[in-house]
Amino acid sequence: MIVAGVDIGSQTSKAVVLKGDNIYRSALFPTGTDLYAVARKVVENAAQGIGHTFDDIQRIVATGYGRVSVPFAADTMSEITCNAVGAYHFYPDARVIVDIGGQDSKAIKLNDEGKVVNFAMNDKCAAGTGRFLEVAAETLGVSVAELAALSRKSGNRIRISSTCTVFAQTEIVSLIARRTPQEDIAAGLHESIVSRVYGLVNSIGPGDTGRVVMTGGVARNDAIVSLLANAMKREITVPEDPQIVTAFGAALVARSRLGSE
Amino acid sequence: MQLILDKLKLRYSRRNTEIVKWKDNTGGKVIGCLPMYFPEEFVHAAGLLPVTLFGDNGPIAHANRHLMTNACGAVRGTFEDLLLGKYDALDGVAAVLICDQVRFFFQVWSLDHEFGFFHQMWRPFNIDQSSRPFLLNELKRLKSALEEFTGNAITPGKLCGSIRLFNETRSLMRALNDIRKTRPGLLKASDLVKAIAAGMIMPKEEYNSILKELITQTRDSDYESGEKPKVMVCGHPCGMPEEEILDLIEEMGAVIVGDDFFTGSRYFSVDVPCSGDPVEAYADFLLNLIPCTTYHYPQNWIGQDRSLSTYGDYVADYVRENGIQGVILLREMYCDPFDLEFVMLKRKLEERNIAHITLNTGHEAGSLETQRTRIQGYLEMLSC
Repeated sequence: MIVAGVDIGSQTSKAVVLKGDNIYRSALFPTGTDLYAVARKVVENAAQGIGHTFDDIQRIVATGYGRVSVPFAADTMSEITCNAVGAYHFYPDARVIVDIGGQDSKAIKLNDEGKVVNFAMNDKCAAGTGRFLEVAAETLGVSVAELAALSRKSGNRIRISSTCTVFAQTEIVSLIARRTPQEDIAAGLHESIVSRVYGLVNSIGPGDTGRVVMTGGVARNDAIVSLLANAMKREITVPEDPQIVTAFGAALVARSRLGSE
Repeated sequence: MQLILDKLKLRYSRRNTEIVKWKDNTGGKVIGCLPMYFPEEFVHAAGLLPVTLFGDNGPIAHANRHLMTNACGAVRGTFEDLLLGKYDALDGVAAVLICDQVRFFFQVWSLDHEFGFFHQMWRPFNIDQSSRPFLLNELKRLKSALEEFTGNAITPGKLCGSIRLFNETRSLMRALNDIRKTRPGLLKASDLVKAIAAGMIMPKEEYNSILKELITQTRDSDYESGEKPKVMVCGHPCGMPEEEILDLIEEMGAVIVGDDFFTGSRYFSVDVPCSGDPVEAYADFLLNLIPCTTYHYPQNWIGQDRSLSTYGDYVADYVRENGIQGVILLREMYCDPFDLEFVMLKRKLEERNIAHITLNTGHEAGSLETQRTRIQGYLEMLSC
């Protein structure tokens, strides 16, 4: 049985092709403007990783914001459900998932059976998302990876607007003009994103037991993970490849639906 | 059936030009009533046409110069229409002061525009033994103001006649809503809210006959309901809920079988009693509407069986009694009464183990695509 999950995010498209129970490969490309083309390319690429072609795939489930633009998918499913299925597969004791993607962030609460019982998503703007960090890094003239390293060197965290990415950018320019050290700005930015995400997590009533898993591209930023863990007063687990968890969940859904046909 | 629905929707969308047309045809006068709860029957009994004012849902280009940023969509939308001259054909405007924003902005209306008739009706928020005499007095004040404006006496007989006519409207609306409940999916929620709203801007005599035909055709439809999750949609206290959101909910696979919209159950659930003094009956009607976030019941907040949210009790009971799987809360941005009740409502739904989701709505409320994800995620949660 060969199935695939494809997650067309606002910034990055991911695919996981799953063969049998344990063999899988993933692929990842920038989303760009042609959603159909990128969806096809990312699935083909993942299939090739396990020596198969696109045509060998028996069922595909699409998720992510571009899910409606994948005509070859048998089903579409929200990234909330797919993310929960994927995270629960890797960590059956997961009860809270924090997913920070390119342009949105989500907090998802699971019960003992891995069922979604509550979730929340960021509202209206990109504050508290990967895009926020990208804009900030561009403004500071460093990479996103360097931003995390810089923030750890700070001895004087400053407060940055957490309500709007564009206004935060203006604030950064103003701080640069006042010769505020880069590391302090970086630390302030991380605090800002975490305060936003922490509010989101609290809104779902996260409880105080069970594993907290963080997924999405921003989970690779260990400064964010560590600050959020401190805010939540809980350990946070980051999967080996946090960006593909949602696509993996979509592939699991495809497998389950193919099996029940 | 769809033809009649489309006709009613068209009347709703042309609501302001319809006023001019009606005046040209009849020579009558029109009073614009801000949502919600305005005693339209008194206006009708005075020989005038009451029309509910729904603001436009488009961008706000003029009203923002006058308003603070936290004014709700209904207040901004109607004020925008006023400034654009869309209400120029009205002979008067009136409102029940249901919240602080309406109270404040309606005062601004009178400063900005001169209307032949301008009436503000006060209303208690905390309901106790002083509420009835207060409301009764306000209704008598309204009656006198209308009599003075028109020169027509509002006799008990005339008022009873108007109440009977409007009760018939409410009864027909309930019949339509019952079809929606018993044959889920037959009537689109976005069609229904506009069909109801059309009844608030048309002469009731004409509207009732159209509604009777619609009910007949709807009953005769051979539509068969499928097995879809049934949801109740609550909130959006006085404005017209966004058509796109209602359509999205149903496109994603749910059927809306209940609501508490002003352009829905809130308008037609309860009749005005037809016996005794009609003014007193109307005061009782206003005190016995379905629970609302603009009414509070302090007597329920004390004692062992206390309930902080009568509104939450109502929603939870409605869900259980109608076999509904979940509740979608439309949280109109900057609606103070709904925000005040929101935490207690959510707590009530959690206590009763009712799955729910909140969608922020209103002018400039965010992208429809993120709403699509929220709704799909929620419906998947319900069906798992």
